[in-house]
Amino acid sequence: MHGYEFYVDPSRCIGCQSCVKACEECETHRGKSMINFDFIDRSRTTATAAYVCWHCDEPTCAMVCPADAIKKGEDGVVQSSLKPRCIGCANCVLACPFGIPKIFPALDQMMKCDMCYDRTSVGKRPMCATVCPSQALSYVRPDEIAGRREKPTNVFYFGKQKITTRVYMMTPAETDSVSLDVLDYVWENSHVTVSQSQ
Amino acid sequence: MSLFRSPSKDPLWKDEFSVFTSDERYVTRRQFTKFLTLASLGMFVGNVWIVAKAYFAKKPVYPTAEVVALGEIPVRGVKLFTYPTPQDNCILVRTGEEEYVAYSQKCTHLSCAVYYSAKNDRLECPCHQGFFSIQDGSVLQGPPPRPLPQIVLEREGGKLVATGVRVNGNG
Amino acid sequence: MDKLEPIQRRRGLVAIDGAMALIAILLVVQFWLLSATLEAFLAGHTSPVVPAAIFSGLLFGACAALNFFVNGID
Repeated sequence: MHGYEFYVDPSRCIGCQSCVKACEECETHRGKSMINFDFIDRSRTTATAAYVCWHCDEPTCAMVCPADAIKKGEDGVVQSSLKPRCIGCANCVLACPFGIPKIFPALDQMMKCDMCYDRTSVGKRPMCATVCPSQALSYVRPDEIAGRREKPTNVFYFGKQKITTRVYMMTPAETDSVSLDVLDYVWENSHVTVSQSQ
Repeated sequence: MSLFRSPSKDPLWKDEFSVFTSDERYVTRRQFTKFLTLASLGMFVGNVWIVAKAYFAKKPVYPTAEVVALGEIPVRGVKLFTYPTPQDNCILVRTGEEEYVAYSQKCTHLSCAVYYSAKNDRLECPCHQGFFSIQDGSVLQGPPPRPLPQIVLEREGGKLVATGVRVNGNG
Repeated sequence: MDKLEPIQRRRGLVAIDGAMALIAILLVVQFWLLSATLEAFLAGHTSPVVPAAIFSGLLFGACAALNFFVNGID
């Protein structure tokens, strides 16, 4: 929107959790952070990754919602669940391939990142991208991201299912899609997506 | 209603409960347009029903009613009477020695009572200055859209009797 | 799923808005026609009845055509 795109680079994440704290400040979700913050393998490494909602072009969460509570607007942002409609069934929590929606049983409601819609709809940056010191989460123009060595991609393969998103993941320069099938990473020297052959 | 859905794509429930807000409004508009078309069909059926009534209705049978005795009113005189029912007010005018004309008194504009103006020799409606010809009830001037219905008079002995109502002007 | 670009979808919506406005106007005309025909018929004039029915049919045909246009816009 307004010429900006959201880029996620997990390799830059230093685990400061500024994004988590900044997201918590928002009044619209009352002190609960919508950042998905992962410790990759905590017993062995300090590596962390912070993710926001990927705002898929065909949002799985919206398609499985029995109450028609999740909507994708014309600007491409998948909104959080509509308060009057959400029944807290957690279907979207189970369905999302990235594991983004969070269920809050005390509220009987799902909440997820909506790319700080109150800010991005008027041309401001989301809170997480504003505070991230390493710009692992960044909301910039495409020509600014072109300066990095990593290249953005928004195509993901989950087995045979292809998912395209609005939010970009920064990947090594030769990669054009991110595949989540272990077979695709067996051959280390060639980037062949085995799961999509034929 | 499968006749009216476009043949492409997804099942109806996916269209009706689309996850895309832009498509949501689109489907609502589509249904509203369908409703408007059905309303249009209903009005067309109404018009066809009127045609059917016009062509298959029985011809009305009018009673015969005595109106006035010949010579009872002077030339250019007026008599008010009711025909065919007591609610239908009519006006009889003696236009000459032997000529009498009678019309319904209800102006075809908004049903005000017309009166005979001897000075102008015409029937006038005081409400909106609609004027009717005394010869055949046609509209001379003003807002009335149609001529006055004329009462058919016949002589029976020394009396004038009303035998029917004739609607002039391609009735 | 809808495969249109957002701009094309927006143009489609504008076209649908225009078609809907046109249908609404036609409906108003058709409603007036029905009421005027009925008034004439009740006053005993049967001459306008058939032309009015024909024209009402034409208006309905236009409404139906616009309805198919709206349904087939994508």
